[in-house]
Amino acid sequence: MTLMRRRGPFTRLGIAGLLAVAAVGCSQKPPVDRNKEVFADFSKRVDTYATLQQRLADSVGPLDPKMSQNEIAARSSKLANAIIAARQGAREGDIFTPEVSTIMATIIKEEYSRRPQRILETRGDAQQELKDERPSFEPQVNQVYPTGAPLATFPASLLPLLPQLPKQVEYRIVTTNLLLRDIEANVIVDVMRNAVPQEKLP
Amino acid sequence: MKTPSRIVLAILACTCTVSLAAQTIALPNRKGSEKFVVMGDAGTGDKEQYAVAATITKVHTLFPFTFAIMLGDNLYGGERPQDFANKFELPYKSLLDDKVEFNAALGNHDDPNQRFYKPFNMGGERYRTYKKGNIRFFILDSNYLDPDQVKWLEKELSASGSDWKIAYFHHPLYTTASRGPELENRKILEPLFVKYGVDVVFSGHEHIYERMWPQKGIQYFTAGGAAKLNQGDTHPGDLTEVGFATDRSFMIVEVAGDTMFYQAISGAGNTIDKGLLARHLGPDTKTVTASPGAAASTVGPVVLPAASTSPGVVAAGTAPANTTSVKPTPKKKVVVKKSRTVTRKPKKTTTTTTRTPPKPKPKPTPAKTPATKPDSGQVAHL
Repeated sequence: MTLMRRRGPFTRLGIAGLLAVAAVGCSQKPPVDRNKEVFADFSKRVDTYATLQQRLADSVGPLDPKMSQNEIAARSSKLANAIIAARQGAREGDIFTPEVSTIMATIIKEEYSRRPQRILETRGDAQQELKDERPSFEPQVNQVYPTGAPLATFPASLLPLLPQLPKQVEYRIVTTNLLLRDIEANVIVDVMRNAVPQEKLP
Repeated sequence: MKTPSRIVLAILACTCTVSLAAQTIALPNRKGSEKFVVMGDAGTGDKEQYAVAATITKVHTLFPFTFAIMLGDNLYGGERPQDFANKFELPYKSLLDDKVEFNAALGNHDDPNQRFYKPFNMGGERYRTYKKGNIRFFILDSNYLDPDQVKWLEKELSASGSDWKIAYFHHPLYTTASRGPELENRKILEPLFVKYGVDVVFSGHEHIYERMWPQKGIQYFTAGGAAKLNQGDTHPGDLTEVGFATDRSFMIVEVAGDTMFYQAISGAGNTIDKGLLARHLGPDTKTVTASPGAAASTVGPVVLPAASTSPGVVAAGTAPANTTSVKPTPKKKVVVKKSRTVTRKPKKTTTTTTRTPPKPKPKPTPAKTPATKPDSGQVAHL
């Protein structure tokens, strides 16, 4: 009090103002983790798909370990048709919404920038080998992933950075696109365009 | 029968005889040991796959392995039911008829639904573990190494009390082939392999044969040439001790107690590489006390001479360095490699294996003798 009494009126006002600002700041809610919120929405959308897939999978019958390859193939095809029929109105971005796409694209870009460039020899057939193991079709929602196309190895260091998926679906990369792929039905569930930096492709 | 047909048949018969005669099994072929074949990138369905499959079948008559490990790319291209027949069931029909059990890993050309294909014995899982004798195998899906899989692997490795820990998966962590090693996978897997004492790792993907210098105490093999071939795509040196890329190839392996014997064989039936490993070898110099019992049960003399016996084999280091000789007589000092020494102590029933901390990999000395040299004739003929 002695100190306050010694100061002038402007100093007192300044201190009071600072205290007021601090008090307002403390009473405000902590800043919301925007990414967490967007990822939660993404996970909810994926879970909705997984629930639908599970229902359809149950309707076509379980995968019996005693099944022949013909039966497994027939079941997979039946499940794919059921999914495509049930999601006729599905559009690109239904699950990879613009919000989550922006965040994921940043994560992927940052992660790729840390990846070492592979030192490749100029041997002609090595380049061909690399091309052969990269799928190069134009992916579409509700498309059956082409059977002859390879599944490009997904960067192991990227997987822990992306939201975890239910067991029915997985991430895959086709050229510069990030896909959600139904594993059992081999159907493309959603596509995120230009997710992978073009210059990082071999 | 017309004369030209007879000539063709005669030539075919001669070819078969020569091919069969060229095969020598350099493994002990002991009773009760675990015997298996290693093949990678096999599922093309083309004549090369069938030719290698025929060689494997012939080898099976001499060396009755009971199971096969497949290193991925089990089916290239289409995966219709007829593809499973043409690219797997027909080429390996004889082995399947003989109840050889196939245990497949997934490659980047494989639909993960292959895990439901019964003859691949994947039990519906992308990654799994199984035990054969004193070996615990860990099959990984290196195509999609998600956090769940890594967590699972650590749990299984830590719980494994098996003598031998062998991991296999499609993408090599070490290779000198042009496409290069899968560095991201290495960053994740290698620390676990080292921590929990994985002994051997088999991979495919590269269509060649390679045996690397041990890395952090682990022996890596690349064996992805069971149908496809990347001609000349191996570069022995600091990383690869033996490489072979002039013909298709596969491996046969025998584990007897604390010793693993391996032999790499070309599509034509020639021996590419052979040797033995003691469990938990360090990265280079190692003294292992091996069980005399393991050697005493040998069916015949086991002599594994120089690694290179087939044209096209490129080996790093001096030729004597690859010399591997094991004889069943006790008190014999067995030179495994130039840097490994196995000393047998008689009257000892247990095997003591010491694991030393990782050291820098050995620098191979320049070859003083031609890398390819004929079979010395010391191979055990069965």
